[in-house]
Amino acid sequence: MSEIFTFDNVRFLAQGLGMTIMIALITIVLSIFFGSILAIAKNYGNKFFSKLASAYIELFRCTPNLLWILAIRFMVPIPPLASGVLSFTLFTTAVVAEIIRGGLNSIPKGQFEGAASQGFTFVQTLWYIVLPQCFMKIVPSLLSQMITIIKDTSFLWAVAIEEFTGKSMILMGQLRTGGQVLCLFAVIAGVYFLLNFTLSCVVRKRQEKSAI
Amino acid sequence: MIRVENVNKFFGDVHVLKDVNLTVEEGEKLVIIGPSGSGKSTLIRCMNYLEEPTSGKVYIDDVELTHKNKTEMARKCSSMVFQQFNLYPHMTVLGNLTLAPIKLQGVPKEKAIEDAYGYLERVGLRHKADAYPQNLSGGQQQRVAIARALATKQKIILFDEPTSALDPEMVQEVLDVMVELSKENITMICVTHEMGFARQVADRVIFMDGGTIIESGTPDHFFENPQNERTKSFLSKILR
Ligand SMILES: Nc1ncnc2c1ncn2[C@@H]1O[C@H](COP(=O)(O)OP(=O)(O)OP(=O)(O)O)[C@@H](O)[C@H]1O
Ligand SMILES: [Mg+2]
Repeated sequence: MSEIFTFDNVRFLAQGLGMTIMIALITIVLSIFFGSILAIAKNYGNKFFSKLASAYIELFRCTPNLLWILAIRFMVPIPPLASGVLSFTLFTTAVVAEIIRGGLNSIPKGQFEGAASQGFTFVQTLWYIVLPQCFMKIVPSLLSQMITIIKDTSFLWAVAIEEFTGKSMILMGQLRTGGQVLCLFAVIAGVYFLLNFTLSCVVRKRQEKSAI
Repeated sequence: MIRVENVNKFFGDVHVLKDVNLTVEEGEKLVIIGPSGSGKSTLIRCMNYLEEPTSGKVYIDDVELTHKNKTEMARKCSSMVFQQFNLYPHMTVLGNLTLAPIKLQGVPKEKAIEDAYGYLERVGLRHKADAYPQNLSGGQQQRVAIARALATKQKIILFDEPTSALDPEMVQEVLDVMVELSKENITMICVTHEMGFARQVADRVIFMDGGTIIESGTPDHFFENPQNERTKSFLSKILR
């Protein structure tokens, strides 16, 4: 036990965890930005933009994420962190766009009418009235998506991006006994679990609150 | 002030407004009554272009409403009070009252807040400034909605059945506010079934049925001496 978790090894793993969290955070922020644009284009855009947004969403919903991770890593010459963020943002944007659309569709028509009757333009209505309500409603879904991203970043190990699983696997190669391997696996799982369970508890809290 | 000329409205194949003509003077209090589905809401919603007529024209102060200018005209000329209130649930009462003045009319924040307290005072809800709409009763929400309509200081307020969604015991508090309001030089157009209110406040009452204005007159004429058979039978049902 103390042989595995030396100061250097713990720091090594912590770097990986930092990378995982960084990729997840940047991905979710970018996906919310681009997902909002897609959702608005699909819901309210003219035929061309609406179709374009649908095409993007369907494309990434119907192809495996790992394929995009591989493609970006081997075909786009950018540093590992950027590569991870780019591939995750590509397909997460499609998922987040659908979440946001669900939020938009749940806003009653009366909100648009109330705003129009006061003289808000459509864009102002979205910005001041509709999107704030939409995001308040979808916080739980976005946090759930965050959990998915954190878990899925472990795929990046396959393309030699040293996030948490990647770092752990490197460490794994240096271990000698089966007991040590088991112990390391348990710790990795434990860290993922703690991180995601915390998020999951936040989700449940929010859901209970909004149910009232 | 408002002129509706030969307005027709179709929803698909359904002919909802049939060649409606109507002129409303500045400061006039007009009440629109009529059975469900007769086109009252559609007519009043054509006056701020929430519904765009299929044919015909609507003028406000001699300016023709168009798809292009409807937002600007709504901002300048009219506000609306809805059956379902349509308050913004993510904002406090104060936020609801100040959003449009600050963002659309360029009123400085401090001034907008000060004004908002004034309007809340008038509807008797100054103490609820920091509450969220969901935590208010229906009657209180509708009074906030009226204050919000006042806060943008337009000359026309359109009311579409403002008391129909309320529990009976809350109707009066909203009507009281509207009666108070009617003493000012605001043009009020109200779709309502509150006949007591109509009698007390209206300069003119119009009765709609099947997408046309069947009868129009002063409240006295209307309630004492209606001419049209359909008006009579409608009134006899509703006044019973
Ligand atoms: N958006 C819409 N799409 C299709 N039909 C509609 C729409 N809005 C109204 N209608 C129809 O138009 C007719 C008139 O509706 P309107 O709401 O103007 O009546 P109303 O007099 O306000 O009735 P109520 O007293 O029930 O509010 C009804 O037959 C209604 O079903
Ligand atoms: Mg109606």
